[in-house]
Amino acid sequence: MALTKDRLWKVYRDMVLIRRFEEEVEKYAQNGTIPGFIHLSIGQEAAQAGVVEALKQTDYKFPDHRGHGAIVLSSPEERRKNCMSEIFAKETGINHGRGGSMHVNDLDARNMGFNGIQGSTVVTCLGTAFDSYYRKANKMEGWESDDRDLDVTAVFMGDGTLGEGTCHESMNMAATWKLPIIYCLINNQYAISTHYTESHPQKQLATWGEGYEVPSFTVDGNDIEAVIEVVEKAAERARKGEGPTLIEFMTYRWQGHFSGDPAAYRPDGELEAWKEKCPLVLAKKKLMEVHGYSEEELDALHAEVEEEIQGYVKFSLESPSPKAEDAVKFVYMDREVEGR
Amino acid sequence: MTRKISFSGAINEALHQEMERDETVFILGEDVAKMGGDFGITKGIWLKWPHRAYDTALSEQAILGLCNGAAVCGLKPVAELMFADFVGVCYDQLVNNAAKLCYMYDGQASAQIVVRAVTGGGIRCAYHHSQCIEPWLMNIPGLVIVAPSNAYEAKGLLVSAIRNPNPVVFLEHKLLYNTKAEVPEELYDIELYKAKVVKEGTDITMVAAMTMMAFAEKAAKELEKEGISVEIVNPLTIFPLDKETIVDSVAKTGRLVVVQEGPKVMGYAAEIGAMVVEDIFEYLKAPIRRVTSLDVPVPFAPVQEDYVLPQYDEVIKACHEVMTF
Repeated sequence: MALTKDRLWKVYRDMVLIRRFEEEVEKYAQNGTIPGFIHLSIGQEAAQAGVVEALKQTDYKFPDHRGHGAIVLSSPEERRKNCMSEIFAKETGINHGRGGSMHVNDLDARNMGFNGIQGSTVVTCLGTAFDSYYRKANKMEGWESDDRDLDVTAVFMGDGTLGEGTCHESMNMAATWKLPIIYCLINNQYAISTHYTESHPQKQLATWGEGYEVPSFTVDGNDIEAVIEVVEKAAERARKGEGPTLIEFMTYRWQGHFSGDPAAYRPDGELEAWKEKCPLVLAKKKLMEVHGYSEEELDALHAEVEEEIQGYVKFSLESPSPKAEDAVKFVYMDREVEGR
Repeated sequence: MTRKISFSGAINEALHQEMERDETVFILGEDVAKMGGDFGITKGIWLKWPHRAYDTALSEQAILGLCNGAAVCGLKPVAELMFADFVGVCYDQLVNNAAKLCYMYDGQASAQIVVRAVTGGGIRCAYHHSQCIEPWLMNIPGLVIVAPSNAYEAKGLLVSAIRNPNPVVFLEHKLLYNTKAEVPEELYDIELYKAKVVKEGTDITMVAAMTMMAFAEKAAKELEKEGISVEIVNPLTIFPLDKETIVDSVAKTGRLVVVQEGPKVMGYAAEIGAMVVEDIFEYLKAPIRRVTSLDVPVPFAPVQEDYVLPQYDEVIKACHEVMTF
């Protein structure tokens, strides 16, 4: 599906934003300003930007732990800087520094956050999908109309996550009850150091869905137009109560597993070959060759994104740390936990 | 109006009445809908509300995961774990999700879920259907563990558990299901996080929960004949513990015996003991005694299961021991 000129421009900008966001995060992780583990998704921008673009703001998103892109794009513009300051462990962080890179969530934007345990959100997402299914079945307030579509839940998962038993339980239940879930399997080839062909018997992981009678697709995860097309179709099915879809996005992570991992386990030349298929380069080429944008127009877009990102970074660096004693807040909804 | 009903009937009534009141409450689990539960606890619900009772595949992780996600959206799931032992299968969802969602979402949302779990030994079902799982979960801030010991408590505590905004593991001891008590017909709740002084006394504080309450009450009567006055405290909420009520009681009596069904190591008896020593060491007249299971899995052969579970004679013996100081 070819996107309109404006829409391709918009998602190209989204991808540039994620790329620059992640590069800055990488820089400050390397120099020690950002604590903890950082998992980057450079090279995978199309899958993240495309899924978010294809969904409504009211749909539920469960990003994976390489999900900065999906997180930032899900948040409204005024809160994107808070996504970055969260990664910097600051009080202004969207979760007041409580969660960090692996757990950034924004409930208002229906970004449900990730979880440090692979496969965990793959069952938690059953619940957000079940919510509208239940409300509609019981004709609850706001759901009396038979015409009202279900809210879609998109759960991001890596090729490694498919090894978790939760994936079976989740897909089995979602398929049986026709829950509105899109399983966005981002096949970036590696679970830490293990290539997916070394831990799964299937050549294409999407074929895994056949056993559950779940429509399954493998698409070029670096082609933003292909991503949006397949997710929009899956979302349409889900909204109408026709059940889940499994989509495997073939892509590649350029960095190691975490910031600082040299990724020596990859064969020579593999990264370079994938860099040739960079989703940004691919989209840029289309913008110029098909839609006639000029180099200057694209430079202006890059400059605009750059200014935005530098604004996030400045905001993050200048924000205060949270108070240590706030660590005891929100353990329970209705009772305090003693501090020191 | 009250009348005598069984522990299982009380739980069933609590579910019916709370579901009548609140349409966001639903039940799910293995065989809970059409069959009405392996122990018959959820009978009648599916017939009344076919879209509020869900039979699932044998998928404890999916059951708990669904609960967590649905709760964040504002529904109030009540899941059944046919045996508490199955917590082992869905531990991640309880520990890494349910217990942490409120923290993760800065109090904007939480896992308001109830996991009803059939717990405890005594039915000759060996080590995978007989365990006391509360210590598995007591180290997890964010969870609430509730343990009724009779039908009256079961109804009121379950209602509170469903209304409580945190994830609650509601322990139902299988040996209590057929026991009866006076239970009001109307809907009522019992405050969580609050221990109950079941009987006042002056010489020994005995803390006991669930089936162990029967031991405690019997022992108190027997010891009374010897002139030993036992104060019985039932925590009701096993975690977080009501420290104040327990500590106040021990400060008064100066002696503590904790009766707990599960293994001794790191059980709640250990926690209560540590709590008391830390807080009111100077009030203690005697060493603390714990009466518990042996630190072994629960075996099948009746003679062996009885041998492993805490025994009534040990309760009496422990009380006599603390009275020698």
